Amino acid sequence: MLFNSIEFVIFYIVVTTLYFLVPHKIRWLILLAASCYFYMAFVPIYILILGLTIVIDYISAIYIENEHHPRKRKILLGLSLATNIGILVIFKYFNFLNLNFGFLLQKFNYHNPIPYLRILLPIGLSFHTFQAMSYTIEVYRGNQKAERHFGIYSLYVMFYPQLVAGPIERPQNVLHQFREKHQFDLSLMQSGLKLMLWGFFKKLVVADRLSIFVSSVFGNPDIHNGTTIVIAAFFFAIQIYCDFSGYTDIAIGCARTMGFDLMTNFHRPYFASNIQDFWRRWHISLSTWFRDYLYVPLGGSKAGTGRRYLNLFIVFLVSGIWHGANYTYIIWGALHGLYCVGYVALKPYLPAAKNKFTAKLLNLSGIAVTVCLVTFAWIFFRAASLHDAFTLVRNLRSFGAAPFIGDGLNNFAQCILAIILLFMLEYKLEYYPGKFNFFSSPNIVVRWGTLAFTILWIVAFGVFNGGQFIYFQF
Amino acid sequence: MKNKPVIRFFVRLAAFSVILFAADRLAGLALKKIYFSQRVGQYSQTTYALDSAKQDILIFGSSRAARHYSPYIISKVSGLSCYNSGRDGLMIPYAAAVQEVSLARHIPKMIILDISPRELGIDRVKYERLSILLPYCAEHEQLIKYVKEVSPYEPDKLISKTYPFNSSAFVMACNTLLAKSVSKDENGYLPLQNSLTKAETDDYLKRMLARANSVHQKAEVAEDKAVAYFKQFLDNTARYNIKTLVVISPTILKNAFYLDNKVLERRLIEEITGRYKNVTFLDYSKDPRFNGHPEKFADYFHLNAEGSTEFSQLIAQNVKANI
Repeated sequence: MLFNSIEFVIFYIVVTTLYFLVPHKIRWLILLAASCYFYMAFVPIYILILGLTIVIDYISAIYIENEHHPRKRKILLGLSLATNIGILVIFKYFNFLNLNFGFLLQKFNYHNPIPYLRILLPIGLSFHTFQAMSYTIEVYRGNQKAERHFGIYSLYVMFYPQLVAGPIERPQNVLHQFREKHQFDLSLMQSGLKLMLWGFFKKLVVADRLSIFVSSVFGNPDIHNGTTIVIAAFFFAIQIYCDFSGYTDIAIGCARTMGFDLMTNFHRPYFASNIQDFWRRWHISLSTWFRDYLYVPLGGSKAGTGRRYLNLFIVFLVSGIWHGANYTYIIWGALHGLYCVGYVALKPYLPAAKNKFTAKLLNLSGIAVTVCLVTFAWIFFRAASLHDAFTLVRNLRSFGAAPFIGDGLNNFAQCILAIILLFMLEYKLEYYPGKFNFFSSPNIVVRWGTLAFTILWIVAFGVFNGGQFIYFQF
Repeated sequence: MKNKPVIRFFVRLAAFSVILFAADRLAGLALKKIYFSQRVGQYSQTTYALDSAKQDILIFGSSRAARHYSPYIISKVSGLSCYNSGRDGLMIPYAAAVQEVSLARHIPKMIILDISPRELGIDRVKYERLSILLPYCAEHEQLIKYVKEVSPYEPDKLISKTYPFNSSAFVMACNTLLAKSVSKDENGYLPLQNSLTKAETDDYLKRMLARANSVHQKAEVAEDKAVAYFKQFLDNTARYNIKTLVVISPTILKNAFYLDNKVLERRLIEEITGRYKNVTFLDYSKDPRFNGHPEKFADYFHLNAEGSTEFSQLIAQNVKANI
């Protein structure tokens, strides 16, 4: 079930109403049933995979907590992680690994006897697997008590707003919230709904509008010139931001209306002045996951300089692999790894600001460089194959030729209008967070006027073809 | 659950809904007025094609119809009045929709359908674009089934009076405020002025050859639904015994459809049209008068004014021979 569908609107109203109507004791049951229904709306049978990981992690965590022998604890954790990663590998990476294995065997004139698996990737698999893994790791580390209530634990993994595309939550932040009694809170309800509205604006007015142009260019990489590709790449940078952060806003807003507080996942990433800053603002729940569970265990920045660079590179490489079983994602991750290593290495030599003006200038040039680097990497992320990606990069040489603007000026003009609107709003939030807050203005005419205007703008300029969220595939 | 904040919320929600409902009605009314007062641009052409066109010859199809067929030349040669209902970016389902509404009002002497084999291939876009029929659904209920192709919920969304004009505000503003700068159609015909160069054509051929290798690896399949719309279109012409020309208009590359892996669809068009006595199939995609003539093309897909004038004369001769 997609957030941008009529089915979801009906589902959300029914579930939220039921949630507040039923006694606190059985609210978890309502949410769990709703989450199961939500997940089963995609491919019903895959609920069994989710169920299997939930059972294994639930039991493992209790055993880990009860076990005091360090080695046995480690083995139990290893078993739990291996199961999660195993499921991830089978469903997400098996065919990719098998294909590469086949190519390798072919080089030596052998036939690959392992068949290709005809399976669909369970939706949001990487998200809920990582969320489940963070639970067992935190129990192992002693930061979280093992949850004894199977229903509550299941809900931690399956809570429908963040089940298929995050934010990838930590047990310390969320688990206790399922036990708390949430009264109907008018201000939370209103701010949640407003956040959902903003999420829908980003998704329907910006992301899905840009996707029309982006798809037509990335779908035909060999027929477009450099200028068109540069425009499409910048459009994709904005599209993926609005698509994913729009989803996150809807998820957080949806949870907030029921009294739940989910973690922030985006913080206006394209205002980042360097690549490290970008990763502090982009998909925060995933980058902090990798920081806590991969970068730090690898030695983090406490190891020597060379080791630190290697750790950084490994984290981004794994992040690329996390996104999908395709070399395009691996290259995307590797590029970000190189960017980050390069930045950390060059940081001591970068010019320091001498006054306010130079500080602003440096900040602005930092933003421009970061946006360009990130956008270049997005070409690999968006391309359907490595061949397409390199075709696009090769065609960049013809930059300067007249661009293709799609089927007439209409869609392109709406793309530009959407980008300008988004930029104005994000700029305001970044530099003037306390000013012009029309959504929460004390003046009811301004507040309701802005809300009604935003809704009508979505109706008049949104794209309503039910385009899937990009991150669902991960 | 304490009731007071809940009641406050629902009271506010109800009040806001009333305001939103009124604002939507008001915006919808204004947009409708602007929409139907357009005198230039393709929206006004669709309005005319659906509500008013009563010419002897009606032309249907995509941008290749709108840009390739001059009703003036066809009328001059054949002595019959002609209107071009082709529209940019829209394919066979749109042609079927406009034809259904038109035939309920007027039976022409001849119909020309410009089709490209690509239109019978699998491509969801051709259905998504049917949303441009939304402003007409209130007056023409036959169109509801076509807009359902966009999404089954599309008729429900018509509860909003703003929604039918979704994504069209920019074009409407241009057509209304800058009407003088919008190129006027000649009975639906919108000729393109610029020309391709030989270098651009060679480059295109190179790219298409590179593309051919990758598209040929994919299994070629025609889309049943698109084929059904094509048959429906021809069935309607047969029912009213209307002489019909089904035309694949010229392409800059010879075998362009082979390069684009559309051999199956091209064969299907030929085979289906062969079943109708009132239908004549004309394929100009291999015509040497156009293949490899960049001076006759405005871009890779469309003839320019010079090319379309030459092509319209050929079509006019066919009209004369078949009427």
